[in-house]
Amino acid sequence: DIDGVGHKYYLELELEDVLDKGRTVSCTAEVLYHLGSKSTAPDVQATVQGELRSTEEADKEFYNRVRSLPKELVAENIPDSHGNVPPELEPIHLLAWAASGYVTWQNSTESTKFHLAQVKHVKQVKRSDEDLQFDYVLLLHEMVSQEVLPWEVTVLWHPQRGARVSRERRQPGHA
Amino acid sequence: DQVLHIVPETFQQVQHLQLLCSTLLLDLWKPLLPEDIRAGEDLHIRVPAPLVQEVKDSLDQHMISYRVLIPDVQKLVDQSMPRERSSHRQVSGGYVYTEYHPMEEIYQWMTQIQKNNSDLVTQHFLGKTFENRTMYYLQISQPSNKPKKIIWMDCGIHAREWISPAFCQWFVKEILQNYKSDPKIRRFLQNLDLYVLPVLNIDGYIYSWEKDRLWRKNRSPYENGTCYGVDLNRNFNSSWGSVGISFNCSSDVFCGSGPESEPETRAVAQFIKSKKSDILCYLTIHSYGQLILTPYGSTTEPPSNNEELMQVAKDAAAALTGKYGTSYRVGSTALILYNNSGSSRDWVHTIGIPLSYTFELRDTGTHGFILPANQIQPTCEETM
Repeated sequence: DIDGVGHKYYLELELEDVLDKGRTVSCTAEVLYHLGSKSTAPDVQATVQGELRSTEEADKEFYNRVRSLPKELVAENIPDSHGNVPPELEPIHLLAWAASGYVTWQNSTESTKFHLAQVKHVKQVKRSDEDLQFDYVLLLHEMVSQEVLPWEVTVLWHPQRGARVSRERRQPGHA
Repeated sequence: DQVLHIVPETFQQVQHLQLLCSTLLLDLWKPLLPEDIRAGEDLHIRVPAPLVQEVKDSLDQHMISYRVLIPDVQKLVDQSMPRERSSHRQVSGGYVYTEYHPMEEIYQWMTQIQKNNSDLVTQHFLGKTFENRTMYYLQISQPSNKPKKIIWMDCGIHAREWISPAFCQWFVKEILQNYKSDPKIRRFLQNLDLYVLPVLNIDGYIYSWEKDRLWRKNRSPYENGTCYGVDLNRNFNSSWGSVGISFNCSSDVFCGSGPESEPETRAVAQFIKSKKSDILCYLTIHSYGQLILTPYGSTTEPPSNNEELMQVAKDAAAALTGKYGTSYRVGSTALILYNNSGSSRDWVHTIGIPLSYTFELRDTGTHGFILPANQIQPTCEETM
């Protein structure tokens, strides 16, 4: 408890690589939830100890594959109702996951618990620069209210520059 | 994708076809290489769906006649391969337990199970859903002249938690399949009857198959039909309407217009009340979270038999972890999850049933409600 400021948490985490189970890396983090303010994201400082696996090959392959598609990529319901993801859409799924992490961070309080339930829709938007752009509608499940919230998220990605969320907002209108 | 049959007539046609195949990277089935295409000889090419029109146009333009040998390659592939892709199929009496099944199939399954195990299983009417569908439970009971205590288990109170009904079906299958060979199961059934309700919220389950995979509630209309669904697990008469709920119909935790306002809730409550003195243990199966939850959700005040409740739950969690290492947390809902009122588990405990648990099955959020079918088997095996 930090009087007048908020609640600070000190965390020691072990991160597991979803694509290389058994490969873990340690992480320490400090999270500060601001008092009262529900509209400011908590402050996060995180340090990863050790190296993350290099994904250069796969990144390049994905980048080139999407760039050479004759039409902009469009997909929906990832995974499908039975939990399946077609292999060629797996990177799109992983990118959504990363983006949902950012959205979760920006919208969390001490009484929320978000998980990505499903990618409802994703549409690639052609750009004049070298980034790939994907406009997602993500379905986020919030544990305490049990609500499933549709969220519009625009993600930019580049093999060297990595992923960035350029826009995110809860989808207006009734779910 | 289509497979075309062509018999080129002239050398010019052969050349054009060779060009077409190499430029569009078409899949030659016969012959294997473009250089082996000959006039007067059969040519079979598989053309990917997006290129079919382009290829046919090109053939027409060059006056090359063709015939469609296979109009839909995928359909042929599907027909010739078994449906299940994973190598571990659990099929018992023709029913695939490692797949999710729609309600129609679950109804048929219940009928079959009773038919194939008529010495042990009877199907009983429990009540009707809002949309007038029949709720059935299965009674697994070894014939005996002594009265037996009951263990009740219900699945699928929340529509989107598909792993839950899948577990109930698996459970029934396991018990019946191993009854003859497993002395533990036989001893169990000597003294206890098992009552299993495979899908409590039938209307909601069907809705999650047909319209909205992430639907949770039942399907009763409120506010003049502009808003649908009550969270059945907030609708029971245990501190109803007090905490962790919403009175707003559009909320996923809408508790209804009053305790037991919903026909599904009433069907279960009435039955449990009628058998109250014989029910030893109440289990309600949910997902996700990997938790074994004890009463209560509406208060952190522990129930009178908390020690026993916790001990049994801890033993269960340990046994579960022993199978595949999956870790489950144990505790009261109010302490380890969130506050809620009107849950079936709490109500059952308040009317005097000593052991009452909510199981939240796999996983912890990676797949959440949309747990891939290939996790049905391990989830069910460890929970068993």
